Amino acid sequence: MAKNGKNGPQTESGDDIKKVPFYCYQCVAGPDLAKVTVRNGVAERLEANFDIKEEHPGGGRLCVKAFGLIQKTYNPNRVSQPMKRTNPKKGRDEDPGFVPISWEEAFQIVGEKFREVRAKGLVNENGHPRLASSTGGGGTPVQYMGTFPAFMGAWGPIDQGFGAGQGVKCYHSEHLYGELWHRAFIVAPDTPYVNFILNCGANTEAQSGVVGIWREANARARGAKRIHVEPHMSITAATSAEWVPIKPKTDAAFLFALIHRIIVERGWEEVCDVPFLKHMSNSPYLIGPNGYFMRNPDGQPLIWDAADGRAKPIDAEITDPAMEGTYKVSGYELGPDNHRWEHEDIDVKPSFQLLLEHMAQYTPEWAEAESEVPADTIRRVADEYIAHACVGETIEIEGQTLPFRPVAILLGKSVNNGWGGYHTCWARTMLAVLMGALEVPGGTLGTAVKLVRPAASRVGSVIPGEDGFMRYQFNATSSNAWNREPHIRNAYKTLVPLVSDSPWSAALGPAHLPWLFQKHQPNNWPRHDPPDIWMCYRTNPSISSWNAPEVANRLAEFPFIIAFTYTMDETNHFADVLLPESTDLESTQLIRLGGTKFQENFWHHEGWTIRAKAIDPVGDTMDMSDIITRFAQEAGILDEYIEKINDGAAGSRLAREDKYDYSLPMGEPPVSEQVWDNMCKAVSWDMTQGKEVHDLDWFREHGYMLKDFNQIDWYIHPAMKAKGLRYELPYQERLTRHGRELAVRLSEIGVDWWETQLREYEFMPTYESFPKIWTDYVKDFNREPEEYPFWALTARSFQYAWGANVGLPLINEMAENIAGHKGVVINKGRARELGIEEDDQVVIESVTGRTEGPAVLREGIRPDTVLMIGQFDHWKTPYAKDLNRPSLNSVTDISLKLTDSTGSGSDITCVKIYKASERHLQKPLAVDELGSAKDTGIADISFAQAAE
Amino acid sequence: MSEGSTETQPQSPTEALCHDPNHTPRWGMTIDVNRCVGCQTCTIACKHWNSTLPDIQWRRVIDIEQGEYPNVQRQFLVVGCQHCEEPPCVPVCPTGATKQRADGLVTMDYDVCIGCGYCAVSCPYQARTIAHDIHGYYDGHDLTVQEEAVFDKDRLGVAQKCTFCVDRVDDGLAQGLTPGIDEAATPACSAACIAQAIKFGDYKDPNSEVSKLTNDSQFFQMHEELGTNPQIKYLYTTPAVPGREGETAVVANAVSEEEMADPVNPLVGKRQTFWDWRAAMNWCFGGLASGAAFLAWVLYLAADLPAPALAWFNFGAGALMCVGLFFVFLKIGRKMRFWRAITRFQTSWMTRELYVVPIFGAGVLAGLFTHHAVAFAVAGIAALAFLFCQAMILFKARGIPNWRVPLMPWMIIATGLLEGAGLICAAGAVTIWVILGGEAGNLLLLAATVGGIQWAAAAGIVLALVNAVLWHLYRTTAKSRGIPPLSRNVLNGVSLPLHLIGHVLVILGFAVGLFAPALMGFLVGGLAAIAGGFLWKFTAIVRASYQQGFAMPMVPGRGSGSRAAPPRLEGFAGRPAEMQAAE
Repeated sequence: MAKNGKNGPQTESGDDIKKVPFYCYQCVAGPDLAKVTVRNGVAERLEANFDIKEEHPGGGRLCVKAFGLIQKTYNPNRVSQPMKRTNPKKGRDEDPGFVPISWEEAFQIVGEKFREVRAKGLVNENGHPRLASSTGGGGTPVQYMGTFPAFMGAWGPIDQGFGAGQGVKCYHSEHLYGELWHRAFIVAPDTPYVNFILNCGANTEAQSGVVGIWREANARARGAKRIHVEPHMSITAATSAEWVPIKPKTDAAFLFALIHRIIVERGWEEVCDVPFLKHMSNSPYLIGPNGYFMRNPDGQPLIWDAADGRAKPIDAEITDPAMEGTYKVSGYELGPDNHRWEHEDIDVKPSFQLLLEHMAQYTPEWAEAESEVPADTIRRVADEYIAHACVGETIEIEGQTLPFRPVAILLGKSVNNGWGGYHTCWARTMLAVLMGALEVPGGTLGTAVKLVRPAASRVGSVIPGEDGFMRYQFNATSSNAWNREPHIRNAYKTLVPLVSDSPWSAALGPAHLPWLFQKHQPNNWPRHDPPDIWMCYRTNPSISSWNAPEVANRLAEFPFIIAFTYTMDETNHFADVLLPESTDLESTQLIRLGGTKFQENFWHHEGWTIRAKAIDPVGDTMDMSDIITRFAQEAGILDEYIEKINDGAAGSRLAREDKYDYSLPMGEPPVSEQVWDNMCKAVSWDMTQGKEVHDLDWFREHGYMLKDFNQIDWYIHPAMKAKGLRYELPYQERLTRHGRELAVRLSEIGVDWWETQLREYEFMPTYESFPKIWTDYVKDFNREPEEYPFWALTARSFQYAWGANVGLPLINEMAENIAGHKGVVINKGRARELGIEEDDQVVIESVTGRTEGPAVLREGIRPDTVLMIGQFDHWKTPYAKDLNRPSLNSVTDISLKLTDSTGSGSDITCVKIYKASERHLQKPLAVDELGSAKDTGIADISFAQAAE
Repeated sequence: MSEGSTETQPQSPTEALCHDPNHTPRWGMTIDVNRCVGCQTCTIACKHWNSTLPDIQWRRVIDIEQGEYPNVQRQFLVVGCQHCEEPPCVPVCPTGATKQRADGLVTMDYDVCIGCGYCAVSCPYQARTIAHDIHGYYDGHDLTVQEEAVFDKDRLGVAQKCTFCVDRVDDGLAQGLTPGIDEAATPACSAACIAQAIKFGDYKDPNSEVSKLTNDSQFFQMHEELGTNPQIKYLYTTPAVPGREGETAVVANAVSEEEMADPVNPLVGKRQTFWDWRAAMNWCFGGLASGAAFLAWVLYLAADLPAPALAWFNFGAGALMCVGLFFVFLKIGRKMRFWRAITRFQTSWMTRELYVVPIFGAGVLAGLFTHHAVAFAVAGIAALAFLFCQAMILFKARGIPNWRVPLMPWMIIATGLLEGAGLICAAGAVTIWVILGGEAGNLLLLAATVGGIQWAAAAGIVLALVNAVLWHLYRTTAKSRGIPPLSRNVLNGVSLPLHLIGHVLVILGFAVGLFAPALMGFLVGGLAAIAGGFLWKFTAIVRASYQQGFAMPMVPGRGSGSRAAPPRLEGFAGRPAEMQAAE
């Protein structure tokens, strides 16, 4: 027999071999369940945990990133022991002078700082927390941070609003509006049933993980059709039936024209799901002359019942709600700040009539001029969408008959955040509503909730609220309840009513603004000082933020930074203490599994899974939970911390009255294993009502524990029907009222720099030319847009996204098989016009920054667009700093002008490109040439000028 | 409540057949191009299971773009060893390290392989690599403890490639598992594929998934025209579902000449580096030596080349041949195992070449001491055989289009003979000049045929003409013979110098030598013949030797503009059939 048998793990007698279960949650599509083979203490190989293949909606398999975890563990560039800074001067060009210290010394330094801050008071003179903390995107760090949330809960006020590239840089509008409209923090197609997906830029094949790719491939193989609309041919476009190259940031025009085609040209009564529109949306709500719902004396919105020709409150028996026309009705409108307009026999229209009038202007020809998508294509896409919608069909799911509408629409990053995000989200959700394809089998679904309660159940969050819609807690905008003095630096409660006030809201507020405000004090706004202590965990804002170089400069101003550390990087370069945590295979944690969650994780099961410590830490690192327990001791909040753990802050409650009590005893600092042992017992009791109680050793052996999760709970439609609720579409009365109240509040305190954002609060969104926002931004720097003729965009890399894997050569080797990773992608013909050939080093320059990398010439990209995949431009992270990769984050800017009303911006900017060999002809950056704004850096010129 | 456990299922027909001792399977794969998203999970799973060194990928997915904006298509193609039914790598292997099992798997025996690289240049799928030293992923650092534990030093200096995870298959079978059904018995790439694009199974089992898929769907085999019958079959369309009929049409791949000349295009083969200048030296010196020895024997028989001269001339030729072989020895990965290359006489021209060498050597030595006609005959015939082996070695390297063309053996032989004539003339001229001096030598040539040198020059003129014609044919038919543009560019670049030096100058030199007569003409013509031969052989073997590359003759109908799938409007009957069946 040939020696090829030596490929896989070999068994030799005397070896100590074990297989240890763990999970990979490097991206939001996790967890992927795995087992690692450990021989004589060395993690040699890992593989999928196929035990779960029947229950797992992705066959139990692993994503490419998971296979890098062993290399990640043994990375020789890891910081292998605590370190402290010896150079008090901070700056990119300053050597921090890190020297190794013992854990004891590290805890003393940190503890002294904690005690100092607690003695001074938890909030500073500006009302902002002295302690701040940032973590990486998508909630993935939570799956590794052990008991850290319990410490944060026990501490008191903490500013978690310093953005690090998540939240506002994510699917921000979708998160907020999606959650408001259909409990969809993330939107996904009902892929096992869908037959037609219209995808505006969502890079599904790069972001939806094992389950997403598994489900989408099955859908393709059975004949589902996907049309992908994006300026470049991403891997998702590549695997779609059709790629429609659209001008960047004009997706709203394209979607508006689809609505026009459906309701105006094809005729809504002919093709739409009329009963759904009449009974499941606010289409028939009557709108008064000031734009608010007409209400009866009880405050109930009114609907015109054409059956007997009179207006009735929404909870009355209504046979035939009128959708079109004008009716004479009496009642009142409720405006901002409880302003009431009383009306007698006044002409009012159903909101659907207003929709028809509003959308009449958005013809396919108009959209073609704006988006450069041919009108014929728009009409065809709309017609295909209609043809696939199966209006009128039903399907049986677990004994219940539900509508069957196998059409879905997805939106991608940069399409659904920043300016235009509201418009695209609204149009997308409206397109689903028109076909009755929202939250029904085959249609457009939400996956998880993060802003409403209860957090663990989408269906459970379908709770009746105002005006026949689901309950939604806007941040108050009334005179007495408005958060006049922002409680954290990004002021989400003050500026963004829609972001609500859940544990996720701080990260989803305008989290880039603290960096800006630290440099430029806005008018009539509380002073903005850096936090006394900033903790960063699994995040690198010096790379992953817009205008990353300037964010790094702001970090240099932070007085004390505690960095939980893997390798040296561009953020912990500014840290005072480096605390190396034990990573994936070296520590233990128990997390939730299954149910429904992003991206396409729709399970028939739910339960818990473990990341069991498989090997001894490679260096002198420490389990995160043990670090945090020591933090609590040093801060003098041990009991509060234990109480938070017992209350469920680390995953699940350890005790429930009259049920079980696995709570940790007060006063005794718990070790990590004890926490998870108790947690294992608590969750297993909870899942089985005490029939099976399993400890940590059991989970170490079995890896996970599941119980059934009903497929009917993938859809909130049944709950909506049962509770008689309607989707809050198309008309945005509540939201607009909050916006107008906010306008009054801000004007009361003299804030005039949020006015553009306030104009975005509209009952139905009006299209504006969104690309112009960025070309106008160029003009603000006294430059002509023609000088920056390219739209610079970014795209997710499946191999790199989220994992903090830029330092892994193995991941790089994988990524390089996919075109575009090595540099900036540019249209081949256009590049050659500029004399640029493959691999030429080129400079990409915006008005505020430059980045460099090799040119990658492709046909699958618009001639006016360039693409930089992932987030690179590293200057400190070992290995990554030598990759010579450009990054969009080096040329984008943080600015109020580029911030929308929800507080998010977008990954797009205008750039020029030239060969690096022509650098000698280079002019100074526009921002540097601009005289008075020379020091703006994170520049918003109008803001900078207003501040002067 | 469920938890981590495996349940035993009743045996399916596939499982039953798989474990039937009378059944010999034919393992193979289907790869569904419509499913693959290029995520590289198969690539990394393969690397992980097989512990391949940095930048060695037995399995990978290439990213292909075709067309011109806005009519563009982008596809992902899984590549690697195709475990051909007629694997070109197996017969060429001089050691038997590369074998084909009864179940079709093409395997490698790292203990036997000498790392000659012949299999690598014979593979039209760029599936093989040779690593000569171990280095870890982190440059400037020692191997990590895991790399230390898993990297296999036996694989250094030898050819390596995908084995279809033969260890998983065999170990799995031994444990009663079924490859293609049980992940632990299935190749790592297939078990890891998150799009279910890669399926593994037994093509001789009509119930296996791969058999069903290939029965139900259209597929292509890469480079089918080469007669390798690859056991990876690429599915490229989607099953017909209501309303989709129009869409199962596929767009044939029309890769333009310009696209095939783009080294960035992943379909385009890279220049092989297995056989570098050291290997080329074998064809240069070996061709020269064998051609010269054969021709000298002919002159001995037909003209008046004296026996002592032939004996010493052969001795010199033998030395040159040894120089060439020594360069090859320098090139092989496992030098101390070089002797293993004699074990595949039945199929490998490389082994046959080696067998010829001692016969030639024996003939030369015997000739040297005995001047016996039989000894000379042995040496002469062995020399021709050596030249023939050299010709066949290149011709059988199916992975390099510019080597495998039918003209190649003729060119090698014709060039060897021309070089041989060149060496005879040059050596003769120098010898005469040394003995008699230039003028006397010229006068001698006027008076008589000297050792057949004139006959050699005359033959050289004819051979130069033959070589010129062969080269012209080779170059002008290159495109139609499938020699890729990058290769042709190199060949074209050397064409004029070759004609001038290797053909025109040879003819002129020999003509001057014959008709002036002048020793210098023999010398110049002879050296030009050798230079010309060396020039084109070095070029063809080292510089123009682009690999076959990959091909995707059929693709799913999708893309943009004219390449997009057709619309589906009327007549769409709702949910797919299997969904209805499930209800």
